[in-house]
Amino acid sequence: MAGIASGLFNSIFRRNYVFLSTVFLGAFAFEIAFDTTTDAIWNRINKGRQWKDIKHRYVQKPSEDEDDDDE
Amino acid sequence: MLAMPALRTVPARVVARQTLRKSTTRAASSSSSSTEATSSPFYTTLTASAATVVAIGSVAWYYHLYGREAFAMTPQEEGLHPTQYPWEHYRWVKTFDHQALRRGFQVYREVCSSCHSLKRIPYRSLVGTIATVDEMKALAEENEYDTEPNDEGEIEKRPGKLSDYIPSPYKNDEAARAANNGALPPDLSLMVKARHGGCNYIFSLLTGYPEEPPAGATVQSGLNFNPYFPGTGIAMARVLYDGLVEYEDGTPATASQMAKDVVEFLNWAAEPEMDNRKKMGMKVLTIGALLFALSVWVKRYKWSTVKTRQLVYNPPVGPKR
Amino acid sequence: MRPLASGAGPALRSWTKHSLPLPFSRIAPAIVTMPHRRPVSEYSPTSSFNSPFKGEEYSPTTKIPSFGKYMSKNSETSNRVFQYFMVGSMGLLAAAGAKATVQDFLVNMSASADVLAQAKVEVDLAAIPEGKNVIIKWRGKPVFIRHRTESEIKDARSVNVQSLRDPQADEDRVKKPEWLIMLGVCTHLGCVPIGEAGDYGGWFCPCHGSHYDVSGRVRRGPAPLNLEVPGYEFPTEESVLIG
Repeated sequence: MAGIASGLFNSIFRRNYVFLSTVFLGAFAFEIAFDTTTDAIWNRINKGRQWKDIKHRYVQKPSEDEDDDDE
Repeated sequence: MLAMPALRTVPARVVARQTLRKSTTRAASSSSSSTEATSSPFYTTLTASAATVVAIGSVAWYYHLYGREAFAMTPQEEGLHPTQYPWEHYRWVKTFDHQALRRGFQVYREVCSSCHSLKRIPYRSLVGTIATVDEMKALAEENEYDTEPNDEGEIEKRPGKLSDYIPSPYKNDEAARAANNGALPPDLSLMVKARHGGCNYIFSLLTGYPEEPPAGATVQSGLNFNPYFPGTGIAMARVLYDGLVEYEDGTPATASQMAKDVVEFLNWAAEPEMDNRKKMGMKVLTIGALLFALSVWVKRYKWSTVKTRQLVYNPPVGPKR
Repeated sequence: MRPLASGAGPALRSWTKHSLPLPFSRIAPAIVTMPHRRPVSEYSPTSSFNSPFKGEEYSPTTKIPSFGKYMSKNSETSNRVFQYFMVGSMGLLAAAGAKATVQDFLVNMSASADVLAQAKVEVDLAAIPEGKNVIIKWRGKPVFIRHRTESEIKDARSVNVQSLRDPQADEDRVKKPEWLIMLGVCTHLGCVPIGEAGDYGGWFCPCHGSHYDVSGRVRRGPAPLNLEVPGYEFPTEESVLIG
């Protein structure tokens, strides 16, 4: 425990520029992770309600009738 | 605990006494000076009470004159309050049911659109929410729109594009009134936001037509009785009957199912941003709660040195006298 | 003096009733309210300062209580790491929030959906026969679409590119050799050139006499640049999407 703590301290917190750049880079990483997580939760809460869940019912049809290469 | 030191401090007492002394002398000057000390609390209380009564009374009087909403209609004329239905999409983290939106758009197209316009909705906004690009392109091309003036300044007709808005059934409001006995079918784009009660009101209105008006109710000729409509006389007749449309996904087209679908569709038309808004709200509340907790901790951390500080005066010990 | 009651009202009233000596002067309250455990007479009349806290027996505040049970059990390092971590996480969250806010405001300034929807024009190419010009309007400007013949393509490609005022190969100006699509705005002063005119079989600007060839490149006259080519793509064989 103490080893981890002192290692963390020496590697990140000791020098202010390292600390600050960790914070700002971490902000970007956090944003990506947070967006991914919340979107996944959101999609699970609203499973079957959103357009992307029912889209396949309507997009399949034209490709069966005619070979349309747009969309 | 907090109030105790304040009461015990000397300067506060001085100030309190000085102000009080001034007011007591002023109050006492009208009465006899010998009874000053005993009569002053009564006058202080009286003055304070009178001031309070005057303050509350003037606010109440002002509210009585100007504060209340003016109601021109009696509660009977306001119409029946709509039932509160448990709309799934009213919940905090629920989107619209896009399958229902698709059905609702079908109901709008086959039933409502013969009288009501939906002129704030372009075809492109339906793409990716309730229909595919090809479906909407085909639908847009069924209608004709004015072109920009050509070289001779003539305005021609062209088939619709995705950027066009859903056409209105009438050319203008006057034409709409002329075709509907003088009553204007309102535009439905923002109807859910525009009516008190929102979805509940429109659903109740659509499904609330009785078989015949109740005994004693007078209905003007040309109007229909609907208890939910303010004034109860509505120009629109009942339109939704079981099996009026045939849903492509096989849902039984009962009147209430159609009303529910079209109301949800109209809510989407009024608030197409709702899905994204709720998702963003969920994220913002999460981040906000985390930030609040952290800032409370950081405040306590930063103040801990100040709060646990004790000031000690250690006088230099001089020779005793 | 009576001890003060907890409510302020009774406390104030008790002042007036009991502690005001009747003929009082303006300075009287200040003197009376001094703590009575130290009456006025005890103060020495001399001007030198005598500390009232002198003497060991009068020092209740110098007894520092033990704060031992409030002390953290963890080591100094782990406490410090925890503190930095909390402060850093708050900075991280605040930075992420600020970034999202700024980004949303900037995105808000870009073109709205209805403008973007009208910024593209789809043209049906099947209606344009070979060797014909078509002028359409796109974002308020004319756009020339020419279905070029084989000989015109050969002409356009046989020109020595280095001899031109604005050197540009015909291959760089078209995506499909038979379809030439460009903005119909003269690069000199913005007139609309006339099609199938001029000395080079292309366009001719009537305002100041600029000649463009069948690839839309300026060959003679005051125009400094070739006719501009907008962004376009062919979603199908028979149509072009400009924008």
